[in-house]
Amino acid sequence: MVIRCFRLFYTFVKFGFLSFGGGYVMLPMIISEAQSFSVSAAQIADLYALDMLVPGPISINAATYVGYLYQGIPGAVAATLGVSLPSFIMAVVLMHIFAHYKDNNWLTDIMSGIKPATVGLIAASAITIASEVLTKPGQNIGDVFVNPIGTLSLTCVIIFVLTAIVNIRFKINPILLTVLAGVVGAFVLA
Amino acid sequence: MKFKNLSEYINIEEFRKCTALFTTFFKASAFTFGGGLAIIKVIEQDIVEKHKFMSSNEFMEYATLSQTMPGVIAVNCATLVGRHGAGFPGMLAAGIGAILPALVLMIIATILAGKIPQQGPLMGAMRGIRAASAALVASAAFSLGQYNIKTTFSIIMMIAAFLFVAMGDMGVPLIIVISGVVGCVYQSVRRYRERRNSNGD
Repeated sequence: MVIRCFRLFYTFVKFGFLSFGGGYVMLPMIISEAQSFSVSAAQIADLYALDMLVPGPISINAATYVGYLYQGIPGAVAATLGVSLPSFIMAVVLMHIFAHYKDNNWLTDIMSGIKPATVGLIAASAITIASEVLTKPGQNIGDVFVNPIGTLSLTCVIIFVLTAIVNIRFKINPILLTVLAGVVGAFVLA
Repeated sequence: MKFKNLSEYINIEEFRKCTALFTTFFKASAFTFGGGLAIIKVIEQDIVEKHKFMSSNEFMEYATLSQTMPGVIAVNCATLVGRHGAGFPGMLAAGIGAILPALVLMIIATILAGKIPQQGPLMGAMRGIRAASAALVASAAFSLGQYNIKTTFSIIMMIAAFLFVAMGDMGVPLIIVISGVVGCVYQSVRRYRERRNSNGD
């Protein structure tokens, strides 16, 4: 228990130090370590939905969620302290360095590489999540090329495509879209 | 035996400052959805106008710094502002204030979500919600791409990161470190060549 909590803490300290420019990159990082904390892609989809309903930064919400699923409340506290620790260290030690080199270009240079990479990483996360949540119960996405109709749930695929198009094209509130998807699911997928 | 006066242990003025910092960031974190940038406007009012910890310019400086530094933006802002406002205790008070509401509310939300029975209409609703979540992650990638993918270099970086993570050859943390280094090297080389070209003409 203690060792597992410490591993959560250590992993999220690492995530905290690597999350440049906000929580966007949190999701890909969590997916890459999901197996070691026994979190499924469907649970990460739930995290994304819960994050919209719970106030607070996505990184904190994500750390709390993964920590709680893995080791209960001690795990949640360990992961959240971990992801926040870099902010405290920065404020004490590195603030002067950052303030001093603020007008120097190296931070912008680093970001110029990380920002486009983040786009690719999030796209990969979307595929990982989609490949698990769009299948029929008990089906494996590996069979999608052999038997696409038997593997994929048509309703889920339609919800996926419509939500993506409506959100990108018309900027409709994501919470509303999620609730709508839930209502449709309750009637059609039950 | 006689207890010493409490004020001999605690500096009242400092304690008052820490409480103000704690409540400011607690409130901001508890009532701001989506975190990050949205939170900063809410905090500015309290810190600059109500409690007068610093000038508006100083605050904006910290707000900008908290976005460039690695880490959670809201907590970065809290620790920087807290340290300026009331030293090390102030940093702890503000930081914990920013973390606590999200931690507690998310634990409650996770417990409640776990209680949803995985059968019948609710199971169907969950599957619909998950499909929508996956779509929202995809559209997050899309809208981030609209802002950040403008040059050939950024297209290459995006595709390379995607391929490396999809092949499973590299962990995401390593990919981020490498893309930071590549960004640094690429921009230095680009500036060097620009300088050389302008000298050559």
